[in-house]
Parts: sequence; structure tokens; C-alpha cells
Amino acid sequence: MKKTVDVSIPLGPVHPIFKEPCRIKCETFGEQILAAEVELGYMKKGIERIMIGRPWQEVMFLAERVCGICSVIHNFVFIETMEKISGVTVPDRAAYLRVLANELDRMQSHLIANFSYCYTIEHETIGMYLLNIREKVMDMLEYLTGARVTCAYIVPGGVRFDPDSEDLARIMTAMDDVERETRRYMSMFDSGPLIGLRSKGIGVMTREQAELIHAVGPTARACGITTDLRSDHPTYQRLNFSPLVRTEGDNYARVMLRFQEVLQSVELIRTIIRTLPEGKIRGGGTIGRGETTHKGEAPRGELTYRIKSDTHGRVQEISIQTPSIMNIEACARYMIPGVTSVADVTAAYISSDPCIACTER
Amino acid sequence: MTMLQSLKNAVRQRSIHVCYVDTGSCNGCDIEVLACLSPRYDLEQYGIYVHNNPREADVLLIIGGVTPQWEDKLKMVWDKIPEPKVAVSIGNCPISGCVFSRPQTLTRAPAKSYIPIAAEVPGCPPRPTEIIQAILSVAPLIFKDWELRR
Repeated sequence: MKKTVDVSIPLGPVHPIFKEPCRIKCETFGEQILAAEVELGYMKKGIERIMIGRPWQEVMFLAERVCGICSVIHNFVFIETMEKISGVTVPDRAAYLRVLANELDRMQSHLIANFSYCYTIEHETIGMYLLNIREKVMDMLEYLTGARVTCAYIVPGGVRFDPDSEDLARIMTAMDDVERETRRYMSMFDSGPLIGLRSKGIGVMTREQAELIHAVGPTARACGITTDLRSDHPTYQRLNFSPLVRTEGDNYARVMLRFQEVLQSVELIRTIIRTLPEGKIRGGGTIGRGETTHKGEAPRGELTYRIKSDTHGRVQEISIQTPSIMNIEACARYMIPGVTSVADVTAAYISSDPCIACTER
Repeated sequence: MTMLQSLKNAVRQRSIHVCYVDTGSCNGCDIEVLACLSPRYDLEQYGIYVHNNPREADVLLIIGGVTPQWEDKLKMVWDKIPEPKVAVSIGNCPISGCVFSRPQTLTRAPAKSYIPIAAEVPGCPPRPTEIIQAILSVAPLIFKDWELRR
């Protein structure tokens, strides 16, 4: 079929908006975007190739460095996969502390995603406020795990450090601050007329389209799909977790959903601290031979690890499926085509919170 | 030293434009560079402005062990930056490749085999304060009396 295209505009790989290199090729007709294509391949490091043949003690740190933003969940899912292979059980207290670390990590990931969006639509004020809240969350993550980004907190059979009641009280106090400030900036985002103009009805993806392209995570939940793998996780089920859903499916819905999930994480952390069981944090066990697939919910969506290990716990085969690849495809296919100006292309792209580092690994 | 030169020295100390390229990192260092923007660390009080446009930049921050796609592009980005310019590498990856420096890897560290690098900030990832300290200590040294030394 013959298409009438004015100009093909490439954005990237070095672009003021992109935190990570990728290239979006837009076919435009005037200011209207007819089609878009995302070109990846600038970040391929071959992590899975490095992992093969190495003991789990090394792969654990490599798995964490698949993605620096959501490092805790990569650690979490990798260790759970190894535990599932070898039948290692986790003490109750450790299971709760894992979720605590994971929720803190989700909060900082969502806050930096919303910062990126606000920065993209040139609303730096809210962006900077959000970065300040994020620093509070990062402090608590460092306080709990000992590191800001690559914490390696979760180990087979448990976690590394045990917070005492004073530490937990400090996290509880920080959560009050985070909740108050998040609510304030969320209402600023919600009621700002220019933010609404720049976000509502832009980059719309319907529920049918999201199902067709297998969108995951907040991108799918903002279109009305109730999918959250945390509701299948035994510890989250004990915390009475239920996923949040919005129905608009535009940029605004995706950003607001992330704000709501930050508040949900605050509530989860409070529940964890209130009901944290006493006991050991390390159960012990040996990693053995087997092959299995395990899934977990990363801040961006569904994360899958398939691992085959030998008797000494060395990884023989591994394949990782990260959430962003589906969301980037959804973005190129449904969100970007139809936006009415080139300026909205980057906004629609950033609102789906793409993470190129874990997409390409 | 002429008056113009001393004026230039004074101005350049308090006006540093930064561009960063991610040549295949895990994102850990990226978010620490972004954290420098936050009001707690506040890059802009030192006159540092993160621009991400190579043609307007003075300082290039390099993050990540260099992937094959970036081998020629890194040089291209470096050539686009007007003189005087300085490159600072953030994290262990541009120095040695860090955990990616193993058999079967696709990264080709170090970054200094592609472009001249003035300062290296080790760490996986380094703290935001260390990144700010590196930029602030190296940039004025390079820019001072640049016209005279040329």
C-alpha cells in the first residue's frame, strides 16, 4: 500500500529526553505521526552469555546488574527461581523483609519514571519535588540494605541484614513523609491545567490493543487490564494485595497509576512493619540441579527467568524476559501513531517507562 | 594574563554544561547522575547544567562499558563537543568493564581507548556526591587559561 509521508524524523540515540540510547523513527505527515519504529541495539552487553557456566554466587550479582533501576526485583526473582529449583524454604521474617525491600525499590522506580515524564513535558518543578521524595526512599533502601542501587539484599534462604525495631520505626516515619508529599504532588499533577492539556487524551491505547500487543505492568493496568503477578505471590497474598487499575489508557492515566502505586507501596510497607513476624532471617539450604521458570512483577511489568542449573548450582542455561520489550512495542505500534505533534512522541514514549538496559541486557 | 582571559576563567568556573552518553550501562550509574539533579544534591548551585546536547556541552559524562554500536559513535559525539571540553567516566564499567569484563562479553572497555578521558569516578555505582566532586574538580583545571595554553 502506498503511503504519503512528508518526512521521516529520527529521534536519538543521543537526545535531550532519552536517558538511555535508542532511536525512534517517526513517519510524519505534517505534524501528525503516521507510524513509528523503535530501533534498539545500543546497549547489548550479552549478560546471559556471561552468566552461562558460572556459579549462582556470581550470577546473582550479574542478575542484579541486568537493570540498575529495578535491581531488587531482578535479585528477588533470580533467587526465588534458584530456591524453586532446589526446594529451599524461606523463614517468614525473611519473606516479609524481601517484600519490604522490593516495595521500597518499586517506589523509587515509579518516582523516577514520573520524574522523567514531568521532565519531558517540561514541568521541572514537580519533577524536582519527586526526585526529592525519591531521595528519602533511597535513604531508607540504603538504611535497610546497605547500598543505594545494587544492594544484593536477597540471598538463597533469606536476606542479609535484620533491621531492629528502631530501624523499622525510622522507616515508618519516613513513609509518613513520603505519603504526605506524594499526595501533595499527586494533587498538583492531577489538578494542573497545563499538565492535563499535555497528558490527557495523548498516547491513548485501548484495552483491546493492549491485550493484542501483550502490554504488561502499569502500561497495561492503565488500560484496564487487571494483571499483576504480585497477587500470585504467597507473601503478597498474606498482605491482602490487590492490583490497582485505571481505564483511560492515556499518558495521564499511566503517570497517575504510578503515583497510586507509590501510595499502595507505602500502605504495604506499613502493613509489613506492623505484622513483621519474629524469628530467623536465614534458613539455609543448598542450591542444586534442576530447571524451572519463575515469574515476578517488576516495576515495569512481568519479569520471567528460566534457569537450568547443574548439581553444583552452576547456571547452564538462562533466559530472561523483561517487561519493557512489550511496552516499547506497544508504544511504537499504538501510542505514538496518532499523536498530533512531534513533541508528544517523546512524552508518550517516556510515559510507558521504557528501560532499555534491561530490554537489551 | 589579559582581563578578558581572567573574565573567561571566572565565568567558566561557574558555567559548566554537561552532556551524558550511556554506552551500555546497567542504568545504575544513570540514575545516580539523575539523582545529582535533585534539590538535595543540587547540581545547579555550582553552575552545572545538564543539557544532554553534545553541541552545547563542556563536560561529557560517559557511563557504561562501550558496546560495539558505540565504538564509532562515541568518537562522533566527542567530536561534536566544542573546545574546551573534558570527558569524565562514571562508574567501573568505562574503566574496566566491571562485572561485564568476562569471556563472552560484548562490551569493549575501557572507554579511554576511544576518547581522551580526564577523570574516572570508580564505584558500582558511585554516589552522587562523588560525581559532583569529580566534575567540579576537573572541569575548572581544564578550562583555566585555555586560550593561553592552546
